[in-house]
Amino acid sequence: MEVRVRVFRFNPEVDRRPRYDVFTVEAEPMDRVLDLLEYIRGDIDGTLSFRRSCGHGICGSDAMRINGRNMLACKALVKNFGTNEITIEPLLGLRVLKDLIVDMEPFFEHYRSVLPYLINDEPLPEDGRERLQSPAERERFDDTTKCILCAACTTSCPSFWADGRYVGPAAIVNAHRFIFDSRDRGAAQRLEILNQQMGVWRCRTAFNCTEACPREIKITQAIAEVKRAIQTGRLD
Amino acid sequence: MSNLKTTLAGYITYRGREGHWSFLLHRITGLGVVLFLTIHIIDIAFVYFNPDLFMKAIEIYRSTLFGIGEIFLVFCVFYHGVNGLRIAYLDLFKPQGWHVESQRRSARWTLTIALILWLPSAFWMLRNLLMHNYGLFGG
Repeated sequence: MEVRVRVFRFNPEVDRRPRYDVFTVEAEPMDRVLDLLEYIRGDIDGTLSFRRSCGHGICGSDAMRINGRNMLACKALVKNFGTNEITIEPLLGLRVLKDLIVDMEPFFEHYRSVLPYLINDEPLPEDGRERLQSPAERERFDDTTKCILCAACTTSCPSFWADGRYVGPAAIVNAHRFIFDSRDRGAAQRLEILNQQMGVWRCRTAFNCTEACPREIKITQAIAEVKRAIQTGRLD
Repeated sequence: MSNLKTTLAGYITYRGREGHWSFLLHRITGLGVVLFLTIHIIDIAFVYFNPDLFMKAIEIYRSTLFGIGEIFLVFCVFYHGVNGLRIAYLDLFKPQGWHVESQRRSARWTLTIALILWLPSAFWMLRNLLMHNYGLFGG
């Protein structure tokens, strides 16, 4: 099948404003959008810039807006769009560095701000090995361990579009992963951070984040659980 | 890109699903109610400061344009109220309800309930408007 691919182009060193280039390419229905981009860069226009790494939905490098929705280019099959027209744009709300590449630093700054690592200064167990956890305790935060930091959720959030200082869904998901971990002792610290003006209360439950997550994490639910933990002080 | 430009571009061009549309509708209806309340507070203040102006304001409210506006205002109040209850219930009491399928369903139900509540009042308000402004239905 023949696919018409419209690609957002912007090189801040040369262009005054962005433009869209159109490429007509031959594709199979099972081809991924990443395959189309690779073909365009390899055979038509070597100046096209985009991020990719594993190409299998694990590294989270190639999140972009495809036909108006955030997704990973490596997980988006041509047949699933139901049209021969595919528009590819960079993630919204982050500065475009070139073409489909955005500046991820503000996103990672928010991620770091919620202390996304185990905090526990208590002495190690007597055997000096691991801090044990029951299957039920591990299950409590299982969903939020799946995040790959692709930024598809945060950049689909209307609150983040309006104010880039909002910590965003991805950071809250990663805070949730440790807040509800029975081995962690930093929940109070994280809840205090997320109780600020630019914390969880900026969430307007638009649900774009959950719809966009390529790992199908129940993001809005995780945010609601953090809100409730702040209100009640309970971590059950 | 400014935040306002990004926000408006996102509102309009992002192809979200029910959640995105209910968020937008919630915002628009909220702004509609705030606009009405602002106008209402100002015109009621005229009773004390300038009674003649108050009577003129009442005349304007009897115009067809304002009559239609009031019909939509009632929708704004119903939708904003019902959707607000949905969000508060899910956020405060049932976080597990923020699940893709149940969220899509609850967003559609919210719109349906708001329309069911709105249609009878819209009918009576439109009937009154046509009766008083155009002499229909024996007016």
